[in-house]
Amino acid sequence: MNVIRQQAPLIELIDVHKAFDGTEVLKGVSMQVRKGETACIIGPSGSGKSTLLRCLNGLIPVDSGAIRVGSFAVEQLKRDRDLVPLRHQVSMVFQQYNLFPHRTVLENIMMAPLQVLRQPRDEVRKRALDLLARVRLTGKESAYPAQLSGGQQQRVAIARALAMQPAIILFDEVTAALDPEMVSEVLAVIRDLSRDGMTCVLVTHEMRFAEEVADVVFFTDRGTIVESGAPADIFHAPCDERLRSFLGKVLAPTAA
Amino acid sequence: MSATATIKLVLPMRKMQPESRAFVYGMIGVPLLLFAALIGCYGRASGDALAWLAARSGMLLTGTPSSGLAGGFCANIVMSLAAMCVSLCTGMLLCIGTIANTRMVRLIASGILNLLRNTPWLIALYAMLYLLPFYVAVFGTVIPFSPFVKAVVGLSLPVTANVAEAMRGGIEAIPSGQWESARALGYRKNQILRYIVLPQAIPLLMPNMMTVYAGLFIGTSLAVVTGTSDVLSVANTITASDGSRYATAAQLYVLLLFFLFSFPIATLSRRLERQMREKS
Repeated sequence: MNVIRQQAPLIELIDVHKAFDGTEVLKGVSMQVRKGETACIIGPSGSGKSTLLRCLNGLIPVDSGAIRVGSFAVEQLKRDRDLVPLRHQVSMVFQQYNLFPHRTVLENIMMAPLQVLRQPRDEVRKRALDLLARVRLTGKESAYPAQLSGGQQQRVAIARALAMQPAIILFDEVTAALDPEMVSEVLAVIRDLSRDGMTCVLVTHEMRFAEEVADVVFFTDRGTIVESGAPADIFHAPCDERLRSFLGKVLAPTAA
Repeated sequence: MSATATIKLVLPMRKMQPESRAFVYGMIGVPLLLFAALIGCYGRASGDALAWLAARSGMLLTGTPSSGLAGGFCANIVMSLAAMCVSLCTGMLLCIGTIANTRMVRLIASGILNLLRNTPWLIALYAMLYLLPFYVAVFGTVIPFSPFVKAVVGLSLPVTANVAEAMRGGIEAIPSGQWESARALGYRKNQILRYIVLPQAIPLLMPNMMTVYAGLFIGTSLAVVTGTSDVLSVANTITASDGSRYATAAQLYVLLLFFLFSFPIATLSRRLERQMREKS
């Protein structure tokens, strides 16, 4: 009986266009992500990956096209107030962590549920401590972000995003600013989330990780989605010439 | 004085922070300079001038021969504090206006900001003298506008613009990623300012705010035109009554008072600024 509902996409973009000062960044993007899926967006830099991600939670308003996220018509939400319920559903983790440096780790995680969602403090605190344990940072509650390593900060940022109890999490190149030895600890957390059935959309340069966790991969180039499909097809049987040359470039150094 | 004694005096200063050293030099050097100027002006009569200053010092400091803090140099301090409090509130409002979402509000706020910022202080004070009534009646209660109130309002106008500019600088120094991640967490603009941006910006804008205050304090000397009994009008009154012989001494003394009050503030602001640079 749930077959139809499960097949309806949780995220759906139809012909989305976006230009910054006359430069078209998204030129008619359409994509679908189903509930519980992990979607990876790959592609050369400047191809509109991050812009695409920011359209999903309304951080960037689009020029035309439709964006459905759950029951929200994102392109129609204009005012900050209307966007709050959407942001409750869709959390985001950034490349530069963007933790609030004047607050401790625990406060960073608890702030938004308390101040935005007005949830009771005891409940939020319990959830925050659980989340800290889940990202393996128990004991760092009262540390300040500047006292943590990049990998630790990024895991706090993931816990902060999860504290909103979202249906979807967006990851924007979350390992790109990390030292190599810290990448795996962050990816491990994302892998757990993906396995637990959280709907994740990742913009990433970690091709091997994308291949491992993704249910569906989108390849963007110059503002369009050139090719999409299962990771096995995208990585091992690419059709498009641009995708083939991109994979050749990014996979060559690791193969060597 | 022997060379070794000089070295002993100078050596501990080497270990001090650069501002502390400048502070010690300034606090000793500038009064000495003013003292030398006094000697240069009065020559043999310097002793009399100093004695006169000592006798009149209380008047210059408090505006009255007896105890009381309603006038003189104390009035300048109270005036500057009052004007700073007013400017902090109005400046914050103006600053929020310049970054408002509504285009109209932004235009009006930046218009006011530019008008105030480019108003000479003396003109703002004169304007208060002629524009403000002597009193206003609010629901039957008469609120008088004393020269003191007029001076505070007049000084607050240009300082409001300075405060707003300093705040905007502090807010703009917060990385855009903070705004973005706060928005992604569902915070609205005024919540972002209140919970995330201002708490981080306030320590950053402290040095600039202190510089603004030091400027305001020096500017209180202009309040003499409003007829309030600030240190300059007291100096003018007593030199008029005692004869203009000691006018120069009185002015040098006023200069010393202003220096002794604003120099520590300037030093502290420079020190905060350096500490912040070292931290980042």
